[in-house]
Amino acid sequence: MDVNAAPFFTAQGLCKSFFGVQVLHDMAFSLRPGQVLGLVGENGSGKSTTMNIVGGVLPMDAGRMTIDGAEYRPRSPGEAEARGIAFIHQELNLFRNLSVAENLFIAGFPKLIKGLPFIDRAKVRARTQELLAAVDLDVAPNTPVSRLSQGERQLVEIAKALGANARIMIFDEPTTSLTTRETDRLFDIIGRLQRQGIAIIYISHILGDVMRLCDDIVVLRDGHLVGSAAKADMTIEKMITLMVGRTIDQMFPPRDPPVTLGGPVLEVRGLSQRGMVKDINLSLRAGEVLGISGLMGAGRSELARILFGMDPFESGEVSIGGTKVAALSPAACMDHGMAFLTEDRRAEGLMMEASIADNVALASLPKFGTTWARFIERTRLGDEVTRVSKAVQINARDLQRTLVKNLSGGNQQKAVIGKWLLHHPRVFILDEPTRGIDVGAKYEVYKIVNQLAAGGAGVLFISSEIEELTGMCDRILVMAHGEIRAEFPRTDFDREAILRAAMWHGLKESA
Amino acid sequence: MSARDPGSRGRHTTLFLLRNAPVLLFIVLLAAFGMMSGRFLTVTNFVNIFIQAAHIGIIAIGMTFVLLIGGIDLSIGANMYIVAAVLGLYLKDLPLVVSFPLVTLIGLAFGAVNAWFITRLRVAAFITTLSTLFVGRGIALYFSGNKMVGFSPEVLSLGRASYLGVPSAIWAFAIVFIVAFVTLSQTTFGRQIYAVGADADAAGKAGINVRRIVFSVYCIAGVCAAIGGLVSLSQVAVASSTFGFQKEFPVIAATVLGGTSLFGGRGGVLGTVFGAVLIQTVENGLVMTDADPYLYPLVISVIIFIAVFVDSTRTSILERLERRQIRVERA
Amino acid sequence: MAPSGAAELARPRRSLAVRLLVSEYLVLALTAVYFVVMWLLVPAIATADTLLDILAAMMPLLVVSIGQTFVLIVAGIDLAAPSILAAASVVGASMMTGEGGFALFTGVPILVGIIAFLGMGLFIGLLNGICTTRLNMPPFIVTLSTMMFFSGFALFYTSALTDDGSSFGDLPSAFVAIGQGTVHGVPYSLGVAAVVMLVAHVTLSRTVFGQWLYAIGRNPRAAAISGVPVKRAVMWAFIISGLCGGVASILYTGRLETGTPVLGQRILLDIVGAAVIGGVSLFGGKGRVTWTLYGVLFLSVVDKGLQLLGLDLASVFAIKGLVILCAAVLDAVRHRLMLRG
Repeated sequence: MDVNAAPFFTAQGLCKSFFGVQVLHDMAFSLRPGQVLGLVGENGSGKSTTMNIVGGVLPMDAGRMTIDGAEYRPRSPGEAEARGIAFIHQELNLFRNLSVAENLFIAGFPKLIKGLPFIDRAKVRARTQELLAAVDLDVAPNTPVSRLSQGERQLVEIAKALGANARIMIFDEPTTSLTTRETDRLFDIIGRLQRQGIAIIYISHILGDVMRLCDDIVVLRDGHLVGSAAKADMTIEKMITLMVGRTIDQMFPPRDPPVTLGGPVLEVRGLSQRGMVKDINLSLRAGEVLGISGLMGAGRSELARILFGMDPFESGEVSIGGTKVAALSPAACMDHGMAFLTEDRRAEGLMMEASIADNVALASLPKFGTTWARFIERTRLGDEVTRVSKAVQINARDLQRTLVKNLSGGNQQKAVIGKWLLHHPRVFILDEPTRGIDVGAKYEVYKIVNQLAAGGAGVLFISSEIEELTGMCDRILVMAHGEIRAEFPRTDFDREAILRAAMWHGLKESA
Repeated sequence: MSARDPGSRGRHTTLFLLRNAPVLLFIVLLAAFGMMSGRFLTVTNFVNIFIQAAHIGIIAIGMTFVLLIGGIDLSIGANMYIVAAVLGLYLKDLPLVVSFPLVTLIGLAFGAVNAWFITRLRVAAFITTLSTLFVGRGIALYFSGNKMVGFSPEVLSLGRASYLGVPSAIWAFAIVFIVAFVTLSQTTFGRQIYAVGADADAAGKAGINVRRIVFSVYCIAGVCAAIGGLVSLSQVAVASSTFGFQKEFPVIAATVLGGTSLFGGRGGVLGTVFGAVLIQTVENGLVMTDADPYLYPLVISVIIFIAVFVDSTRTSILERLERRQIRVERA
Repeated sequence: MAPSGAAELARPRRSLAVRLLVSEYLVLALTAVYFVVMWLLVPAIATADTLLDILAAMMPLLVVSIGQTFVLIVAGIDLAAPSILAAASVVGASMMTGEGGFALFTGVPILVGIIAFLGMGLFIGLLNGICTTRLNMPPFIVTLSTMMFFSGFALFYTSALTDDGSSFGDLPSAFVAIGQGTVHGVPYSLGVAAVVMLVAHVTLSRTVFGQWLYAIGRNPRAAAISGVPVKRAVMWAFIISGLCGGVASILYTGRLETGTPVLGQRILLDIVGAAVIGGVSLFGGKGRVTWTLYGVLFLSVVDKGLQLLGLDLASVFAIKGLVILCAAVLDAVRHRLMLRG
């Protein structure tokens, strides 16, 4: 790899408007072979637009791109691919019903006999094995993709890009759903790609990863390029400052632990479910923010889903607000004042095709329909929805008309939180509440969590980011392998110790 | 990853039974009918079952392509009737080697009209094919004047003919099946159909020409409807004004019975053949056992219901068993 | 912000045609246009008699399509609707036929008959609901098999219990009046349908249950997590569809004066078609009772117009199909216009 090699890809003056609003102004960057370029910015800052232009998903309004000095103006993703640009999408574009090998060649299989449509299965198998070896993925070519983990699927995507002879690979938030080990493996592979002379564009909200991985970093804000520097000249603090346009002194709002906590609002005794969690004991008190840390697959989300009655459990007991609840179900949990923010807001949190108001109202409808035929008191409901939406600061012109699918990730998450605030929860389980949302929106979510706790609710805060937990929680439980392995009070928060506890079994566990 | 409990032989048996439930159901039916009628378990009768199942099976093979991309075609019955009307009214004097390919082209064109509305004008497949069902039958009724359509004697003799000891209907069934099977499993086009059915957006991003695939499957359904129609009319040699009427229901039933999902991406033509033969076996068995003809639809719908019920139970149980587990429990 | 202000200015005022195209009254407007054209061809269509006839004829279809709307909103489909009409018709009629009805001995055969109509509807709806929600089977297949079963059942029942094996005649005149009678020229059936429509409309738009149905259609998983009793609500949607089928069967049977197993045999596609033409989505979460009304009105006016033109069955089929197709194409065009914002 030659750091001084000349750029083979350049982009200059890229502009893009939607409905007359300019979302990208004069974007410019270049790539050398083997360079890893980090692209950071809040949601809506123009990262995705830039990459969609490069990847051929969107046409540019103005500007010029070149590859090896030749004009590059893709009209489709297919054309981008033909010119050596591969896009590893956030939501992986693999077909679960097909095998690994078929996914690699779906755009065009090698033919058995030229001119006839039959697939040369032997060649497909051999070539697939080659490509899988290049990304260290040890599965048989005919394994159905549905059997692979999220991280393994990502490696298949990379293998696919390799198969298409990509010279530039664009990674959009590749680590959001990977375990720590899978993330490490991904970074190894990226290093290997780099040594082969493939240029990488790496988009992520996790600034630590960007610092660790990238040679150069480009920062976007409101569609403008606001900073571009080599890694040596960049720090995380500087990136944040550039991204938000102001200095954030602390990434977390001040949290003064309450002097006296209230009584227990959630108590779990000996909760077990075969293959999921084992002998979980925990107690959450009013006004407390209790963090749950652990690696991906440690059983955190599974525990949350059992507690909210979405999955069954075999033994143990759960008390909410001092009452033992024998048969857990979402409705029963809600009756006892529990709320649950899912980690998958698209699939389980929101009705994407419905308005913000409809979404916010969804969990509380029975409270506004108490007459004999359960007619909805629309005025009172409308007022309450407006109040809550203001409280969580959803930015939208018209709550009744704006569809949730047109909101940014941060505003979507606020709509889900608003839905539960309207329900006045006494116990709030948050599963990865800040996943995929930008720094500004994260800060606002943290503020809401603090307000909730100050108002006397108990919050169970599940997160993969240890910083977030140490910044927000009064106490942290660490899960590994379906069990609670360690407990840290706020006075003993130690990033390394928490991570070690999470890895304790993870190190021994095999993939 | 999950480790199957070693001690649960009972669960393994359940799993085995569930996996092979449709086949077991088939065997039970064969045994039951066999005991009730001595004529049922004979080679002649099985040949008959296949002949009777051929036209539904062929059309259902076309329907399989459409369901695999998550579409639907309600217009196949109208398509069959147009083919019959044109053949009987206007092409009677042509030799079959000319007239059959010609009317198959009409089936193709009918499918292409559906495809055009669905891919170009983006009208929902359900509504498009619902409308062309009316339009198609209306046009054909106009041709036939609502009267019985007859065919040349060669059509009937073709229907009764055998080659190498195999009746012509079974030849047609087998050829359509083999072509469809190889297309789906061994060609790029076939694998892309599965990809489009699983996720059309992702297929577009992966560089697949989604519109071409969707267009093609409706054309295939049209061709299969035409061939199925020809096989059917070669058995009876006349077509009344209700020829093919509401054929979409048994055809979809056969396809779904064979394990093809209505939501796209899952299934195949081998299952479809099985589904068509299963339905015909039941009907044949009822005839053989001299059951009240009014009971046929009752029994057949119950069988379809049971088969689909077992399939959906099996799917959800298998899903639960294949779910990733976090802990490996030690006994 | 400057750019967005410029955008507001730059956006062209929409023409009347475009605004009509994207409005929910499009189908109503199409009906009016069709009506005017027909009026020019056959003035008879605009007489009071014809109009009343259209209204009376469309009421049973309207009632059963409203039931279908509930199921479509939860992203289901009820293909069993025609078999509910048929099964309820023969079972209900067998209770009160003058030729040895089962309930004649009670002295109130009409009451028992009506209960039998509704009971059949309730039973088949419940069966569909249980199979889809408790046994996790796809609604398309469940209702396809119940459709085949109860259509067959209706034929079997009739063949076993009647002399000619085709229908139950000689129904009490008071019952027939429900389908045929009028008060001051207004058909009773209109009143029945109006009540069903009003209750359905209020249920969908104003009650918790109605909002739950929309939520289930939009995202069943999100609805379940938000405490919506998804299974119970879907079950009720099928039961409502069944009950509407029972009511519609009363109206049809009264109109025809006989309980017959071929009732509704050919109207499945009309039922689903009317709802979808009105704008109810097959994918769930979108639909209104008024939209279904527009769709039914449209299909009924089209039918009547073709009938008045004196066209043969072939032409009626072809033109009806074309008209549905045109409505669907317009709908697709307008969907794209709306996406453009």
